Amino acid sequence: MKQLWVFPGQGGQHGGMLAPVPAVLKEQVAALLDMSFPDTDAVYTDSVQLQVAIALLQVSETQELMAAGFTPELAAGHSLGVFAAAYSLGSLQLDDLFKIVHYRASLMQASYPSGYGMGVIVGLPRTSVAKLVAQVTTTDAPVYTSNQNAPDQVALSGELTAIDAVLQLAKANGAAKALRLRVPVPSHSPLMNGVAQKLTKAMAGVQLTPPQGIYLTNDGGRPTKDPEVIRRDLSDNLAHPVFFDDMLAVAADYYPQVVVSFQPGQPFRKVLANRFSDDVHQIGLASMSIDDATFLLNKWERGSQNE
Amino acid sequence: MSDTERNWHSHRDAKAARLANAASLLDGKFAKTKDAKAVLETLLSSGDKVVLEGDNQKQASFLSQTLASVDPAKIHDLHMIMSSVSRPEHLDIFEDGIASKLDFSFAGPQSTRISQMIADGTLKIGDIHTYLELYARLYIDLIPNVVLVAADKVDHEGNLYTGANTEETPVIVESAAFHDGIVIVQANEIVDKVPRVDIPGDWVDVVIPADEPYQLEPLFTRDPQNITELQILMGMMAIRGIYERHNVQSVNHGVGFNTAAIELLLPTYGDQLGLKGKIVPNWEVNPTPTLIPAIESGWIKSIHSFGGEVGMEQYIAARPDIFFVGPDGTMRSNRAFGQMAGQYALDMFVGSTLQIDQYGNSSTVTKGRLSGFGGAPNMGSNPTGRRHSTPAWQSLKPKDDPLGRGQKLVVQMVETFGSNKRPVFVDHLDAEEVQKEAKLANVPIMIYSEDTTHIVTEEGIAYLYKTDSMAERQAAIEAIAGVTPVGMRSTEKELADLRRRGIVALPEDLGVRRTDAKRSLLAAQNMEDLVTWSHGLYNPPAKFRSWS
Repeated sequence: MKQLWVFPGQGGQHGGMLAPVPAVLKEQVAALLDMSFPDTDAVYTDSVQLQVAIALLQVSETQELMAAGFTPELAAGHSLGVFAAAYSLGSLQLDDLFKIVHYRASLMQASYPSGYGMGVIVGLPRTSVAKLVAQVTTTDAPVYTSNQNAPDQVALSGELTAIDAVLQLAKANGAAKALRLRVPVPSHSPLMNGVAQKLTKAMAGVQLTPPQGIYLTNDGGRPTKDPEVIRRDLSDNLAHPVFFDDMLAVAADYYPQVVVSFQPGQPFRKVLANRFSDDVHQIGLASMSIDDATFLLNKWERGSQNE
Repeated sequence: MSDTERNWHSHRDAKAARLANAASLLDGKFAKTKDAKAVLETLLSSGDKVVLEGDNQKQASFLSQTLASVDPAKIHDLHMIMSSVSRPEHLDIFEDGIASKLDFSFAGPQSTRISQMIADGTLKIGDIHTYLELYARLYIDLIPNVVLVAADKVDHEGNLYTGANTEETPVIVESAAFHDGIVIVQANEIVDKVPRVDIPGDWVDVVIPADEPYQLEPLFTRDPQNITELQILMGMMAIRGIYERHNVQSVNHGVGFNTAAIELLLPTYGDQLGLKGKIVPNWEVNPTPTLIPAIESGWIKSIHSFGGEVGMEQYIAARPDIFFVGPDGTMRSNRAFGQMAGQYALDMFVGSTLQIDQYGNSSTVTKGRLSGFGGAPNMGSNPTGRRHSTPAWQSLKPKDDPLGRGQKLVVQMVETFGSNKRPVFVDHLDAEEVQKEAKLANVPIMIYSEDTTHIVTEEGIAYLYKTDSMAERQAAIEAIAGVTPVGMRSTEKELADLRRRGIVALPEDLGVRRTDAKRSLLAAQNMEDLVTWSHGLYNPPAKFRSWS
């Protein structure tokens, strides 16, 4: 059965989430990066701890599903999730993945110590939000439209007072929801160009092989099998909005029969339910063990062969 | 070069040369399944115009997958002509360079991807055609070099049986067979004798048994359970305010829950109004299961169809008085003739859309989704050369012009807000932006304002054909556009004036009580009811069998 694997970024993390990760994998990564994984809520306020731990969890889940005989035809990573997505398609190797995630997190941690972040507006189309942003943004207090997770869900990235001003305007213009996100960095905007440039340099030496399936890019939401397009997306996605809505819309044109949502959390449960028809099976690893997931996948596989 | 030296049969020579190259792969007309890729690599030539049968329902899926597997170094830059772009590999061939240009009609199932590929320059669009324009161009300036089509059964002479889903096969094959194009057919099954001959064997050059039957989806089945009371209300208004008022005899329903509601209201509400035998005996429509109660209760006398519908085979076979059925007892459909009938034979088209602008133009193309259109643009337009004597056509004739002509009724039925909670009535269609982004010659409008005679919403009916100016047309649209930004411009005073002059009718003006719009009014309320109505002859596909 054609599977779409979805890898979220930060947001759904919690202390203890690494409990199911096999010790041998944990030790391998700990040795590679010379760090330890306390896996507590407290430690996840640290960008490096948080991002490496999420990658570790996603790689572990990917390895287990692959060991059970499953591979994705389509992979969609959101922000940090792009690395596990490229890994699941066999394009990015494990050591490279952890080194680059570690470096990315360190750069992000150092980039905007205070005063910057993200917000989200629900219920206004992107064009309307862009008009509000244009009214507010200045050189000193810049704000940008960023991620598009659903047709009516637009994120903002920038300086916090400017974000608040846009959120106010959005409410006045009929937005159903307009609020700040607990993200301390203006991700997925031109404010991250510096970080993206450094990552691009680091990624230049990384070997990427042709993917086994279709990789969906954050930037523009395009399907690709070209390792160089994947390289660009892994390198500079922090400087571009994640067009997650487009990624899913185009993924739907390939008619996947199963969607598997990797941890942490299940931030796209509603978005995925709206995007795919009831005929498409959905699995959320946040609410199901790998054993249960493989049981269902095997069952559906048999069902599709009997049809 | 003098006339006597000129070769007047170069196409025939070229075809013969290509077939001669493929001789080692062919036993008469027949190739082996495993040689399919080699056959295409031999018979196709880079730059060819190729029709790949992607119909609304039937897909030549074995040939499309095979085409996507050919070596782009051998075969590249094909010019594809397809009525429906439906499957992922229909676009993969453009990514791989096997094809570079596309003329098409409908791309709903690939609408996001095609929109991205046009924006990225991965494929070049010839035109987005209405069905009839695409078929017609096959005989004028898009005459194909090779056509790739699908058949159910093929006999040893190469005669094709296409079964209920004949759809586009005849119009495609004829364009190649009589102009020295190569006709390549994928077959579900090779048989000694076909049930009937849908395409004669001497129009066919190559037959390849497919590894599995062609793809066919039950696209037009609507479960009555999902019809809402608002749709029932709109259906009641349409029956009173349009079907009855204009004495409509022949109709096409675009397929949706609005029109399914009307089909299921005829035997109940229509009967209460005493309309049985007076309206809509003759139909051009896909054989949707929601028609069964109206057929069984004697409302419908004839139905011609563009395509078939999975699960309806036995029922149709048992009702040859109603449907078009061969001597073998199975249905025959034909989309080209169906579209022609829609243009020239029908009193009325009733359909739905995603957006209607303030002037009355409508489109299903929205930002990022270049869906093209199915049958609606042909069905929902008024061929101006037409001259009809039916009461419905005549009822739209201007009273003060002795040379004035009537008009086909083109009805759009929409709720003022779509399922995504976005307003259907907008000042400007997304299609206008899409034209600029995709650099299309025309704004992808599905049905033009000037062809639209009526709009029905949950608020009321706008009789657009009665308006004398664009300002009046806009006012009529605003009056039934509810609380959308367009609708908010309407005032009580304007509404009262439009009602007085019969340009807008509210439910109460039509004698329809909102409180009567109940689900119990539907002749069938679920799939099981439809099976019962069909005397067990309708066999719903698995995904509609939730009760069993």
